[in-house]
Amino acid sequence: MREVVLNAEGAKISQRTQRKHPKVFSASSAHPPRPLRSIIRWLTVASLAAALNAHALTITDDRGINVTLEKSPQRIVSLLPSLTETVCELGQCGRLVGVDRYSNFPQQVRTLPQVGGGIDPNIEAVVALRPDVVLMATSSRGAQRLEALGLKVVAMEPKTAADARRVMGKLGQLLEVPDAGRIWRAIDAGVSAAAQSLPARAKNTTVYYEVSTGGYAAGTTSFIGELMQRLGLKNIVAGELGPFPRINPEYVVRADPAIIMVGSRNALGLEQRPGWAGMRAVREKRVCVFTADESDVLVRPGPRMAEAARLMVRCVTEKAP
Amino acid sequence: MSARRGIALGLVLLLAAGSALLVGAGVGSTGFSSVLNARQDPIAWQIVWDIRLPRTLGAWMAGALLGLAGAVAQGLFRNPLADPYLLGSASGAALGVGLALALFGASPFATQWLVRLGLTGAAFVGAVGGVLLTLALANGVLHTLRLLLAGVIVGVVLGAARDLVTLAVPDILQAMQAFMLGSTGFVGWTACGVMAAVLVPMLAIAWALGRMLDGLALGESTASSLGVPLAAMRAALVAVLALSTGAAVAQTGLIAFVGLAAPHLVRSIAPVTHGRLVVLSALMGGLLLMVADVLARWIIAPQELPVGVLTAVLGGSYLLWLMHKRSARGGML
Amino acid sequence: MNSVALEASGVRAALGNGSQATEILHGIDLRLPAGRWTSIVGPNGAGKSTLLRVLAGLLPCSGDVLLQGQRIGALTARERARRLAWLGQNESAADDLSVHDVAMLGRLPHQPWLASPSAADRSAVEQALRATQAWEWRDRLLGRLSGGERQRVLLARALAVRADVLLMDEPLANLDPPHQADWLALVRGLAGSGKTVVSVLHEISLALHADELVVVDAGRVVHQGACADPATHRALEHVFGGRIAVRALDGQWVALPN
Repeated sequence: MREVVLNAEGAKISQRTQRKHPKVFSASSAHPPRPLRSIIRWLTVASLAAALNAHALTITDDRGINVTLEKSPQRIVSLLPSLTETVCELGQCGRLVGVDRYSNFPQQVRTLPQVGGGIDPNIEAVVALRPDVVLMATSSRGAQRLEALGLKVVAMEPKTAADARRVMGKLGQLLEVPDAGRIWRAIDAGVSAAAQSLPARAKNTTVYYEVSTGGYAAGTTSFIGELMQRLGLKNIVAGELGPFPRINPEYVVRADPAIIMVGSRNALGLEQRPGWAGMRAVREKRVCVFTADESDVLVRPGPRMAEAARLMVRCVTEKAP
Repeated sequence: MSARRGIALGLVLLLAAGSALLVGAGVGSTGFSSVLNARQDPIAWQIVWDIRLPRTLGAWMAGALLGLAGAVAQGLFRNPLADPYLLGSASGAALGVGLALALFGASPFATQWLVRLGLTGAAFVGAVGGVLLTLALANGVLHTLRLLLAGVIVGVVLGAARDLVTLAVPDILQAMQAFMLGSTGFVGWTACGVMAAVLVPMLAIAWALGRMLDGLALGESTASSLGVPLAAMRAALVAVLALSTGAAVAQTGLIAFVGLAAPHLVRSIAPVTHGRLVVLSALMGGLLLMVADVLARWIIAPQELPVGVLTAVLGGSYLLWLMHKRSARGGML
Repeated sequence: MNSVALEASGVRAALGNGSQATEILHGIDLRLPAGRWTSIVGPNGAGKSTLLRVLAGLLPCSGDVLLQGQRIGALTARERARRLAWLGQNESAADDLSVHDVAMLGRLPHQPWLASPSAADRSAVEQALRATQAWEWRDRLLGRLSGGERQRVLLARALAVRADVLLMDEPLANLDPPHQADWLALVRGLAGSGKTVVSVLHEISLALHADELVVVDAGRVVHQGACADPATHRALEHVFGGRIAVRALDGQWVALPN
């Protein structure tokens, strides 16, 4: 027989499966014996205390630090675009009171006060917003300063799809959003759908993606590389080279990818690179140039993964030989 | 006469610093209203007392450390173009920060230690490490030229190492850039305390060695003939240079120009012996960086300008005006 | 007190380091008497400056150098600095110091580390500056002086040490004839009062005013003798390959180019 422990208001808190004396401790029993009454009272108080404590949240951020909050934060400052997007994807956009200058999605965060960059936040501006928690990247010095001033800081920096999922789970826990996993599964399903919509002839197309932060290629362990893998595309960059290797342009010419993907800032002068004019991707104009907004979607490992997949699929469908 | 000028300059610099500190308490992204509300609103009080004041004071201290280091470097190497970053401290600090950023998250052990050390600690260790490497390469402090050369080599090599690190882990590029640009924004009371704990003894040592530096200015053989213990003096001064620069760079990143300009600014107003020059350079450097910090927060409030840009503008314009005045008067620059 | 102020025995010295070291002095034996002015002369590259530095204890050497009977290496730096003053060729970068400050630096060997100048220091500096006619501009900055004026201030700095032995390397640089004459009188006065002066001069005629001459050639002492001694004159003429002739003129010896 299962025993249901009730708190003072009669709300169900926990269940314990009774092994001994199933008849004595049934919920419908009206008059338990005397010593048991005090035991029940003790249990009720203990459960009440446990219930109150259960509202105290503890999150372990990416620095390995346990951050404890009394209750779910209502005022949030986010200093990393991918974290901003995740918060909004979890439906908690309303709790954001401040963002960094690079957070630009969704549209409504653009009206929020900007408190500097992610790496160089304006400490005073952040403090003035009286946030319950500050979300920021692990590589920022501001975290220590903000904590010294008494603010709670949760530092996370998603770099891969797995990271993005984990971050979403942690933020879901922090924001007490039930079943954050469901939201992630929906995103994941979107990616699979995009993969399926890729025409058969486009499977296994060789692709080279140049990330616009100074001529670095997207390696197989980067977020973009993972997407490519899921979509069934072949990244010309070999696995051992790391997430964003600086590739010798000669390597690209030798690999002769079918499609080149590039951000709009890097697209200038592509044909002038030595040897590149002869590559079939350049000759046959199979170069996808992504706008700044589209690049944001592709580069940030966050909840817009499905849209990133769709962007890639669109590019490959249009430009595949 | 020159001594009196020196004292007058010192008083002026202190007074100006005091005023700048007050102004700095009232300037920031939330404006003067924070000062007005400080009594009632605990957040406003925190902003004025825990953020603005230590930041402004910390800027003065970092500037003082850099000014002191600049005067020591120029006296030690008898070269008016010497700056505190000569012996590889800047590139060492940058490499330290780069490695810290790159290794973060590489392993739980590394992460745990790096969180404790912080980027501040990594920068300090890197700076001091760079100077030690220079000393090792130069085989001690005996030959000034060898020391300078070693400093240049170490600077270039460590800079290349840092570039390799950013190449391997390009994610840290932005954070590295922020460090290289320099910022006073993260300085709190603890940081002020640390800098003060370094500034006071270093200033005392450098001031005590002032007469010997004067002797050195007459030439190495003359100084040696006067019984000046060259090797010990140089070792002490290099230590002062390393620790002062390391302490400043750890808290505020690589702020250029303050160390180079402060002694020149002092000499243009009141040429003094080295003992006084070191103290006055500290005061001048402190004022320079403090004013730059206040202006950085004020000019485009609620946004901020990088403080290194302002130190260059302030110090550079004064020196330019000085050059113009001297060439207009005729004679050599 | 020892009548030999400075003595060198078997001194060899080299310049440069490691494999590039070239030996400049090849075994010098020299005894310089106290209370006299000795001039070291010789052709260019003979090693005169090197010899002077070795005697001042500024250059390491093999062999022995004795200052007032004691090995110079056995003295502490301060003790040596009190007994021996050095005036080298000008490598000063002290443009921001006042004339008085520069002269006061000569008192470094006598001052305890952090002490302010004593009355003795101040009077020594004043005397030195008056002796070189630099007292009127004691508040001027060194950087504002002409070459000759600067040289006189540096000389005052060396005088302020009040050492028993004074070594000077080309002390007449930038000095015009009147001030060269002043310098001569000054040095004669110093020698007369018991101080030992050793100078390296390339102006042979002025060097011939000294009590003794040490003729150096190719890292060896070729001759040491009184300036009035004809043997010294022959040695001098020989060392310069017969390109000079030592003659008497108005009671003084002069060296005329041949």
